[in-house]
Amino acid sequence: MKKINIIFSSLLLAVSLLVTSVAQAKDIKIGVSFRMLSDVGYKHGELIQDTVAEWNSSGGINGKKVDLILYNDECKSEKGVANATKLAYQDNVHVIIGSSCSSVTLPMVPVISKAKVPQIIPHSTSSKITLTGSEWIFRVPVSSRFYKIVQAKFTAENAGTKIAHIYVPDQASMDFSKSMIAYVKDEYGVDPVYEAQAGEKETDFRSYLLKAKATNPDALVCSGLVDETVRCLVQSYEVGIPKSVARVANSVASKVEVPTNAGKAAVGVSYAAAFAASDTRPIAKKFVKHIKSRYGVVPGHDFSQMEDLLTMLKPALEKAEKRFSGDLASDRKAVRDSIAGITNFTGLASGPISFCAAGTPECRDGNRTPVMIEYTKGGKNWKTKVAGTVTFNASAGL
Amino acid sequence: MLLKTKKLMKAFGGLKAINKVDFELPANEIRGIIGPNGSGKSTFFNLVSGVYEPDPGSYIEFDGNDITNEPPHKVGELGLARTFQLLRLYQDMSVINNVMSGYHTLVPYSFIDAVTGRKKIWDQEKTIKEEMMELLSFVGLADYAELNASELSGGQRRLLVLARAIAGKPKLLMLDEPAAGLSPVNVDNLMKILMRLKEKYGLTLIIIEHILKVVMDTCSKVTVLDHGEKIAEGTPTQIKDDNAVIEAYLGKKMDDEEMRKALAV
Amino acid sequence: MGKFKEIIRQYPFLGFVIAFIILMLVPSVFFTDLYQSHLASLICINIIVAAGLNIVKGFCGQVTVGHVGIYAVGSYTAGCMFLYLGSGLWLTLPAAILIAGLFGVAFAIPSFRLEGPYLALATLGGGEAIRLFIENGDFFMSTYGISNIPQPEIFGVPFDTPDKYYYIAMPIMLIAIYFSFSVLRSSVGRAFMAVREDPISAAASGINVKKHKMLAFVLSAMFAGGAGAVYAHLPPGYIHPNNYTVIEMVTFLAMVVFGGLGHIWGGIIGAIIITIVYDLTRPLYEYQLFIFGLTIVLTILFMPKGIGGFIDKYFIDRRFKTKTGAASK
Ligand SMILES: Nc1ncnc2c1ncn2[C@@H]1O[C@H](COP(=O)(O)OP(=O)(O)OP(=O)(O)O)[C@@H](O)[C@H]1O
Ligand SMILES: [Mg+2]
Repeated sequence: MKKINIIFSSLLLAVSLLVTSVAQAKDIKIGVSFRMLSDVGYKHGELIQDTVAEWNSSGGINGKKVDLILYNDECKSEKGVANATKLAYQDNVHVIIGSSCSSVTLPMVPVISKAKVPQIIPHSTSSKITLTGSEWIFRVPVSSRFYKIVQAKFTAENAGTKIAHIYVPDQASMDFSKSMIAYVKDEYGVDPVYEAQAGEKETDFRSYLLKAKATNPDALVCSGLVDETVRCLVQSYEVGIPKSVARVANSVASKVEVPTNAGKAAVGVSYAAAFAASDTRPIAKKFVKHIKSRYGVVPGHDFSQMEDLLTMLKPALEKAEKRFSGDLASDRKAVRDSIAGITNFTGLASGPISFCAAGTPECRDGNRTPVMIEYTKGGKNWKTKVAGTVTFNASAGL
Repeated sequence: MLLKTKKLMKAFGGLKAINKVDFELPANEIRGIIGPNGSGKSTFFNLVSGVYEPDPGSYIEFDGNDITNEPPHKVGELGLARTFQLLRLYQDMSVINNVMSGYHTLVPYSFIDAVTGRKKIWDQEKTIKEEMMELLSFVGLADYAELNASELSGGQRRLLVLARAIAGKPKLLMLDEPAAGLSPVNVDNLMKILMRLKEKYGLTLIIIEHILKVVMDTCSKVTVLDHGEKIAEGTPTQIKDDNAVIEAYLGKKMDDEEMRKALAV
Repeated sequence: MGKFKEIIRQYPFLGFVIAFIILMLVPSVFFTDLYQSHLASLICINIIVAAGLNIVKGFCGQVTVGHVGIYAVGSYTAGCMFLYLGSGLWLTLPAAILIAGLFGVAFAIPSFRLEGPYLALATLGGGEAIRLFIENGDFFMSTYGISNIPQPEIFGVPFDTPDKYYYIAMPIMLIAIYFSFSVLRSSVGRAFMAVREDPISAAASGINVKKHKMLAFVLSAMFAGGAGAVYAHLPPGYIHPNNYTVIEMVTFLAMVVFGGLGHIWGGIIGAIIITIVYDLTRPLYEYQLFIFGLTIVLTILFMPKGIGGFIDKYFIDRRFKTKTGAASK
């Protein structure tokens, strides 16, 4: 009996020692939850791990070690919510990085807001996320509210406002044209010169294209799924719409099938992103080279956003750490305020990133500058270039 | 008549497994069914118990009910129980649960009672269990009640399916080769149990059996099937001397003395 | 101890009252942070699904790989009722159970004709069809999910944090277990097993095989539906079709297999252990799927009756040995 008592009490002692020693270390803890399923997913995780290891080997955050806790949410809200709850209440992290899918980040926001942990988003773009009014969420990527109107703004500014629309009856395709029409009407007071909804499963758009041609437009919008977009683009040349008329497609233009299948007809078509691998700025070139050699892939904006996030987080943590009191709640608040204080951060993103204190989308959606990537060559060996950037004011698209 | 079939027929493709069999069985009788392999004995059971659907024109009546096209569970509910040649034990259930599930039709409480877990059902379950334990002791398996049925020996399994069939207190019990594979001692034991069963529960029995000794000693009347047809019916002694039976069983080549010996085993 | 057992057997409800009291005290005694409450609620939800799955798969022997679809039906019944009617859990829960039950009827029908892998395929198709239907419907807010499904209030106190929601999920789980125990310990449970073991001889004993398959499917669907609703309201009250894929189905199946197919405690033990193990291996995300696959394979190979069967074997062998003084074969 006595023996058991001794064993038991020494066990208790050991546990309590362990607990206190963990508490005394007082590292800075960063929790991560995002989709780490696919090959690229793992690599995003590696990027974080490598970066944090680099920080630690070069003195950490003001001499403090950074603890990284990485969880996979598989792009599932159930897992994301559990991860956020665990990171917030059990792992006691100072800041959470996450997540990839909007459908996971969205339910994480109420969790971290209630727990009062700052969260900074690497990938999710849904405008709904920052409409929640939380002061604890920050977004590095470009919000969907900007993406939604970027083609409208870019086209109107660069090609003109005489725009002909042909769209198919698919929800996303219709939404794209409708919101573009609404934007041009609101901003310039101009209606489209031509608007036509093709029939379901229609493959021949020439009759619509001929009518559009007759209106002598500045730009022609072909809004459909991949196949329909390709056909519409190709047929626009067949009916003789001149090259000078700008061709516009919706976000399917970023899929490789569009330049591959449309060939020459894809030239001049552009899509919006937050980063272009063909970006010629030195910082971008260096980054692309580094990612290629270290991870063996050409980085898309998912990589660049993660990189930007980490680059801006480090000085923010350093600034916050100076105000750390050891009380987790107030330390988290310090981190939040420090991130909210980031203004005009210039990194890989095509424009400066700025946050502010209010719980409004204006303050939360830090990146307002999508980059337009344009095809310069179609076919199998398609090529792109940066066609320009579009900067929005903070409240655009709300 | 407890059981009556008229022009009972079942063909599998071109094979007439049961061909126009008229069969009548009064209550309280022990009837034997014999016949060579493949003569249609098990098929007869399967038709009567509703496992197979009889061909058009057949008629089966049990206890005054037309059961010609009733599904097996309806026939079971009416009080006709049976065992199977291949036993069809509930392997992965305890011995006691095997027997208790044979009691299914007599369970006094409803499904709603079961779902809501009313206290009265636990009392009733207790009574059922006690009763079924009694039945298990009767066949000598009480000590094995909590074991999985798959852990029983071959002979014990035969006793278990017997107990399961009796559990529902049937009016008619049909046994398909209950003694197959038993040692001589166990055959005797089984016969004793069968006789006691009949006395205790007032059962009417039909027994399919190749061990003719069992049939001759326990049955008051024997029906003989061959190629799906009823070729003879009578008391064991009558059957023993029936030439058609002898022919069907053993072929013509043996002499009379040899045949009689074979049948008397 | 024997006396106590006898009393519990006599008044099964008493056992649940005791369990309820203990489980009410668990958080204040053992839990050190809110996440543990969240995990406990998840365990409760998984227990409900697994207990239901155990009825149809473990007891009645009917393969189903579509249950996650019915779980989704429960969640989306709750989600849509909130979205379009503003209903709370006390309304959505019974509705979800009812509608899931109707889906259970639909899932039972193929089991009348199909068995084993064919039935698995049919139910898999059914479950996936439900998810795809939800995923492609604007009515279900498929892209960004349904958010802010509210937590219930009791006497004006909102149960909107993980620690409080446990007190909602836990009693519902206990009620579900109560129903599952009641059914499975009764003649209905025995009939399920008989149907699983041998439908032909079950029918010969007067057991209506189709009816019992139907009952098993509907009952377990109701469990899944109820669990789905409890999940939908779990803070932060968010549902999305991504959470109802085949992977989730495999996880539910793993719970039942690991806990012990056809063991009355099977789903419960399995749900607890698998959920906790999943949580502990969260940082090992790269190996998690591998670990789970391996667990299922090893369980099936070396412990085909799961933990429940293992426990049974130990106790029953001992009981039998003491009774007969001989080892069983
Ligand atoms: N389901 C079935 N499908 C096709 N043929 C069948 C089926 N059931 C039985 N038969 C055939 O019907 C005939 C009678 O079979 P049955 O099993 O009734 O014979 P039995 O008299 O019981 O024989 P045994 O003494 O060997 O058990 C056999 O030729 C058998 O092949
Ligand atoms: Mg036979």
